[in-house]
Amino acid sequence: MSLAYETIATLRRRLLSKEIHPRDILKDLFTQIDAREKTLHAYTYLHRESALVAAEKADLSLPLGGIPIALKDNLNALGDPCTCASKILEGYKAPYDATAVSLLRQAGSILLGRTNMDEFAMGSSTENSALGLTRNPWDPTRIPGGSSGGSAAAVAGRIALAALGSDTGGSIRQPAALCGCVGLKPTYGRISRYGLVAFASSLDQIGPLTRTVEDSALLLSVLAGHDPRDNTTDLRPPEKFLTQKNGSVQGLRVGLPKEYFLPGMDSETESAIRSAADWFRKNGATLVDVSLPHTPTAIAVYYILATAEASANLARFDGVRYGRRATDARDVLDLYHRTRSEGFGAEVKRRIILGTFVLSQGYADAYYCQAQKVRALLRQDFEKAFTQCDLLLTPTSPEPAFPLGERTQDPLKMYLADVFTISTNLGGNGAISLPCGFTKSNLPIGLQLIGPRFGEETILRAAHDFEQAHDFFQRLPPS
Amino acid sequence: MSAPQINISDVASLARLTLTPEETAKFSAQLTQILGHMETLSQIATGAVPEVTPPAQPALRQDIPAPSLSIEAALSNAPAQANDLILVPRILE
Amino acid sequence: MSTPAKWEAVIGLEVHVQLLTQTKMFCGCINHYGDAPTSHVCPVCLGLPGSLPVPNEEAIRLTLLTGLMLGCNLAPVARFDRKNYFYPDMPKNYQISQYDDPLCAGGLVPLDPFLFPKEIQDTAEAKAGRSIRLTRIHLEEDVAKSFHFEDRSGIDFNRAGTPLMEIVSEADLRTPGEAFSFLGSLRQVLLAGHVSHADMEKGQMRCDVNVSVRPIGQKEFGTKVELKNLNSTSGVRRALTYEIARQIAACEKGEAIAHETRRWDDEAGATFTMRTKEKAHDYRYFPDPDLLPVRTDQGLLEAARTRLPELPTVLQSRLIQAFGVTAYQASVLGADRVLCAYFEKAAAQAKSKATVANWILNDFLSNQPDPATTPILPEFFGELADLVADGTINSAQAKKVFAELVTIPASPREIVKRLGLAQISDVSALGTYCDEAIAANPRSVEDYRAGKTNAINALKGFVMKKSQGKANPLQVDEILKAKLSA
Repeated sequence: MSLAYETIATLRRRLLSKEIHPRDILKDLFTQIDAREKTLHAYTYLHRESALVAAEKADLSLPLGGIPIALKDNLNALGDPCTCASKILEGYKAPYDATAVSLLRQAGSILLGRTNMDEFAMGSSTENSALGLTRNPWDPTRIPGGSSGGSAAAVAGRIALAALGSDTGGSIRQPAALCGCVGLKPTYGRISRYGLVAFASSLDQIGPLTRTVEDSALLLSVLAGHDPRDNTTDLRPPEKFLTQKNGSVQGLRVGLPKEYFLPGMDSETESAIRSAADWFRKNGATLVDVSLPHTPTAIAVYYILATAEASANLARFDGVRYGRRATDARDVLDLYHRTRSEGFGAEVKRRIILGTFVLSQGYADAYYCQAQKVRALLRQDFEKAFTQCDLLLTPTSPEPAFPLGERTQDPLKMYLADVFTISTNLGGNGAISLPCGFTKSNLPIGLQLIGPRFGEETILRAAHDFEQAHDFFQRLPPS
Repeated sequence: MSAPQINISDVASLARLTLTPEETAKFSAQLTQILGHMETLSQIATGAVPEVTPPAQPALRQDIPAPSLSIEAALSNAPAQANDLILVPRILE
Repeated sequence: MSTPAKWEAVIGLEVHVQLLTQTKMFCGCINHYGDAPTSHVCPVCLGLPGSLPVPNEEAIRLTLLTGLMLGCNLAPVARFDRKNYFYPDMPKNYQISQYDDPLCAGGLVPLDPFLFPKEIQDTAEAKAGRSIRLTRIHLEEDVAKSFHFEDRSGIDFNRAGTPLMEIVSEADLRTPGEAFSFLGSLRQVLLAGHVSHADMEKGQMRCDVNVSVRPIGQKEFGTKVELKNLNSTSGVRRALTYEIARQIAACEKGEAIAHETRRWDDEAGATFTMRTKEKAHDYRYFPDPDLLPVRTDQGLLEAARTRLPELPTVLQSRLIQAFGVTAYQASVLGADRVLCAYFEKAAAQAKSKATVANWILNDFLSNQPDPATTPILPEFFGELADLVADGTINSAQAKKVFAELVTIPASPREIVKRLGLAQISDVSALGTYCDEAIAANPRSVEDYRAGKTNAINALKGFVMKKSQGKANPLQVDEILKAKLSA
């Protein structure tokens, strides 16, 4: 079998036993890529040569020695492009490594390529990429989710073993759910954001997309920890995750928030989630009905705060110091207007305008300030819920992958696709999405487990037990 | 409170964006719809909401120099430069 | 400057101060000026995508120290906000600043009468002893430096992201002289705390001025005008003098004052409209999500407190009391802490401390301007003053000793010995000289005895010449008078 189908954990064992060489993994991956990338378009950039050079020098004694990993195209890696799937970063080559990237390098992994995304991570379908859309490996007429759609499609499509993504409102978990892989959004402050091109600084978090929970834990162990370059990283000492496996479900209190099970929701999704809950109950967990009463406000709060922050974060793309610069500008003001109007896509412009508006004089109190206050209530909802349970169990996405083009003209409907994921970003909690079933038309369904802040170990152990008791993670998309 | 009428062009101009007439029309309608959805927030009583405070004191930076980029690396992405300065079209006050 | 009696000016200052830190506000690049362009930049201060700021704790400490020195209320939590506006010298197109919660609020700057312009130090305005209230002090990052060429501009990002403290005064100032003294007095405080070199001409302290005029007795403020491009304290004074006169002239003609920003042209000696403020900026301030609030009461404030220096006003009173110097001397000494320390050492053991002050502020400063590097030990001044006080040498001789001291650092006593300068106070030796003088100048003796008392000077001169200037002139006078009237 092609090594492209293996998990990182398995490949590490085989590398250490000298049964295989890192170049064998790359060879198989590139064979797969050559066969499938044309359809999927998961990548914006591939390190064909440099990866092979790195494979020859790989230090197998390191935790990720010899393991190729793909990066979402919004993570800076020294000397590489970092387009954020935007025309405005045309020609930009990063003069530095993101902390997450430098940790991957220090752990011995090989950079395989850069994955497609919604422009500046703004979107839920990867259709907002200036570099072309990405297709779902399970059904190429459907979206892979977003914004880390390239990462999810690459991992699910077996053209990457693992990829890093970023999650501001569900951008790791939703594509993971829609592509049938494991996506972890760690607690805010767990992984350094230094070098991740910011969308919404108080919500963004880097995380892994993998085939299995074990691989997710492996990557989290490498990436987690305080970074003196990121003021918002937590100061706790580094941890190794999922060193103990199995048997975590017995006695676990699993909360089912009633606001996440809405009348009229996709029936196949609902029944898959109910069966998953049932599995937990049958294996010794207690199911608890809980309420997160402010959930209905989450989308409004999120789109106010995220766009407000984004309006400032994206101000730096002005054609002065890097990236695309409009030609023939009369003066600096003209340069700004032309560069930005030509360089940003429609969704980015829409969000910048919304974010600028909610901060503007006369409106900031009603929108931005009010949203901050409601955000505090949403946080309190989680804190209260976690006095009653250890984990929350919910769907990741209200429905499976929708057809390409279906929502590009209806941004509000697109925003509603994030309804189950954004609250955790607002609360700063960690959450995972993992496959828990398939629809009749063979589309993956994702289960979301949300933990208290810094409760990743609980999340990972429960997710691992559920995953290993089922074969969803082993199913392959049609080739 | 009802959703306000945004003057899209003014807001875009604050963000240094120039919209085409088509964009202006489309965004106006979409943003009105989105802001309409956001009206739900005005119903939420937030009088006694405690401020979002961080759990811990963040690590500050000691005043110790760290390496800078080389001039070459710092200018490597500059669209226009001369004499180690980044050039821009003239700045009008 | 004379303001026509029925008008008064209302002036507020916004002072930006560069802090004496090793590194920039939010990254480890060196905080230094005058180096090769773009040599102190990194992803953070260049605003590269993905970079994040981390606050420099020293900059926070220095701002807290400034607040302590000026008697401000200090915030228990430091918060940073984003101020959004586009400008090519600002890498992120937002400036990290403080909006709602400045580190320091309130406070006072006492105006030092001797830091008013020289020619008005004797006026009631300078002697009024006013203190100017501060609104706030906050910490922010500086912008890059632009160079304007004919059809384009060049930007050097070395200054981008360096720490900048903004000190905002209440509109308490009433005259250009007060504004002048405010800047000088504030600078003295900043120097005392080693917060900044605060030299306006080097851009280490920059100042925007808001000024309006109103009829005396009116409570409401007039329309305020902002003045920019003020590059020295005397520039601030001249610009205000011009602008106040301009506004009064306009008001007297019944013209309205435009709410605008005007640029001071130092060469033309006039202000010119830069831009009108029809539309206020919408900076869209909001808390910077990259920076968590910082507790100042967990170590930072304590550290700042341990650095509290002796404040200029306190130092000046102490100098007056302990050393008997004049208020003017106290102000001059207080303005240069190195010189002051030197003086205090010099005067410590001296019998006439005021003499030491005179020596140091006159002879020493005109000869050896740097007390930090001078080879002359401060104790020598005490010794020199004592030698004069106890009559070992006269003041003319002391000047000679001092001239030697500057070139060959040796103790004044040694120099006196080496030059053979010690005054002859021995009565018999002086008597001999006086006898010689009387014998050699019979005409002068005659004149003196005839009532021309001035004639004694010729005799004294003879004695001084004979004794090579060493004779104690007072004693010579006494002896001669005694001998002549005998």
